[in-house]
Amino acid sequence: MGEQDYVVQCHGLERTYHDDGIPVHALAGVDLEVERGDFVSLAGPSGSGKSTLLNCIGGLDRPTGGRVVVGGVDLASLSATELADVRLRRVGFVFQSYNLIPVLSARENVEFIMQLQGIPAAERHRDAMEMLDSLGIGELADRRPGELSGGQQQRVAVARAIVSKPVLLLADEPSANLDSHTTEELLQLLADINQDRGMTIITATHDPAVMAFARRRIRLVDGLIVSDQRDQDAED
Amino acid sequence: MRTSVPIKVLAQLGWRNLWRHRRRNIMLMGAIVLAVGFVLLANSLLRGWQAQMLDTVVANLPGHVKVLAPGYRDDPSIQRGFQLPADYQPDLPGVDSWTSRVRVPGVILSERDTRGVQLVGVDPQRELAISFLADVELEGEFLQDSEDRRVLIGAGLAEQLETSVGRRIVLMTQGSDGRNREAGFRVAGVYRASSSGLEKVFVFTGRRVLQDLLDSEAVTELSIRLVENGQRAMARDLLQRQFAAQEASTWDELEPMAASMYKFADTAMLIWFSIMMAALAFGLVNTLVTAVMERTRELGMLRAIGMQPGVVLLQVVMESLMVVSLGVLMGIGMGMLAVYSLSDGIDLSEWTAGIEGYYMSSVLVPVLLPYDIFRITVLSLLFGLLASIFPAWRAVRVEPLDAMRR
Repeated sequence: MGEQDYVVQCHGLERTYHDDGIPVHALAGVDLEVERGDFVSLAGPSGSGKSTLLNCIGGLDRPTGGRVVVGGVDLASLSATELADVRLRRVGFVFQSYNLIPVLSARENVEFIMQLQGIPAAERHRDAMEMLDSLGIGELADRRPGELSGGQQQRVAVARAIVSKPVLLLADEPSANLDSHTTEELLQLLADINQDRGMTIITATHDPAVMAFARRRIRLVDGLIVSDQRDQDAED
Repeated sequence: MRTSVPIKVLAQLGWRNLWRHRRRNIMLMGAIVLAVGFVLLANSLLRGWQAQMLDTVVANLPGHVKVLAPGYRDDPSIQRGFQLPADYQPDLPGVDSWTSRVRVPGVILSERDTRGVQLVGVDPQRELAISFLADVELEGEFLQDSEDRRVLIGAGLAEQLETSVGRRIVLMTQGSDGRNREAGFRVAGVYRASSSGLEKVFVFTGRRVLQDLLDSEAVTELSIRLVENGQRAMARDLLQRQFAAQEASTWDELEPMAASMYKFADTAMLIWFSIMMAALAFGLVNTLVTAVMERTRELGMLRAIGMQPGVVLLQVVMESLMVVSLGVLMGIGMGMLAVYSLSDGIDLSEWTAGIEGYYMSSVLVPVLLPYDIFRITVLSLLFGLLASIFPAWRAVRVEPLDAMRR
């Protein structure tokens, strides 16, 4: 498989924090390659390094050793401004607490990323509405986050994350604030996005339900990958 | 690919955030409105004082520019006079009015008392156009012409001399030959001026009459009132060329204390503005920092999804400027209303004795200049901008990851 087929490549990735002067190795040399169109779950106990790995891949955290390449771009060589540009154009984020902008409507929240990208108003309006419709929340387009349920907010967050067609969607504990029924709906949505749009998805989660939806399940313990399982169906 | 700064998005976000924390922003705007309103009102009152000061000083006989013989200011006698052609007309741009005078120290005697005074020989019609005599309350009659042999005295002096309209007094002074001269005059009128000092000092009679008494054809001063105070230096320079043997001076050179006070009014405006704005800036910075801290998570998220640090900074600055701009505009409106409501002036007559030394009259009328409105608006916005930089810097320092963990 050629390098261009990998959306994410991590080599010897290390991230060390200092807690009262004591070094804590959140990542202790992770090697990982994620293929285009894959759906990966990072699992592990608290402190295992799954969120840190997700943040390093998303350019939100800087590794203290090793390399991360996302969509062919080596993040280690980028300035803060360039990293922000990578996050804006190449990576979509879905956060645990939705993190929508409270003063904007659902449609405006979805359009916001495109506004930052400088996409013309008519185009972004059309794309945002199409995206909300495709996620089944088109009729809620003019409501603000405070007027939406948790599941609806998370759908808006997903719409915002994928509307500008990033190469990678990162979801950090996306089901943490959702009930089981809404979690099921969200996971089905992510699976559809992965299958229908071919979007690469990486989630960090404790939730077995989320892991069950992923085609590749990676388990971390103490900053190292201890297992990497792929669905047999997918392999076939 | 670099992202352009999405001003429209930021403006939209800023405007909505303004209403998101309505109560806090209304209180902040209220503070700005009060500060700017009071600054504008205080500024207008100080400008009013300045205008009064200038009017008073110019009207108290200097004019905007004056020509005197060398040495006259140290030894004001008719020997220090100069000749002015009978058909003289000032060859200057921007002249409002002018007059020539004979002004010498003398003594006035009534049957009751004797006082040292300034004897001023005037052309009455010209004098009315240039000096404080136009604004006095007069009991009796004004002088008719430069050959009127009667005198005008102030009410304060009349009281001291225990004399009144129609009574006779005697004026004594030194003639052009250095010998004492005296003559009897009848009191034509008693004037009441804005300052009791003026009433006790100046005794007016016809210019020709005083010249006859002094046995001289000379005048001691040429006084010119200009349309614009700002033209005085240019007028002085022109007069100096035309009267090379004499000394031309502006009112601020002749009245340095008044000039200092005039300048002090400018400084006072700046000091008052700075105090109000510094107090406001503390409140502003505090409130804006609180606003940023409250939104740490949101700002972190904006950074996480790709908003550039500079754009975050711009957003906080823009939001702050929206609050400040609204406050400043309303403050200017409130200040203008306050000035308008005081357009008849503030009655200070109870403190007349105390304020005379500050060249003020008994009614202080605020003066609102477009330049001051512009200056206060621009400086207030600048203060607002400066006050927003620290909170904006705090916002930029928010690490997306740290913010999102909160």
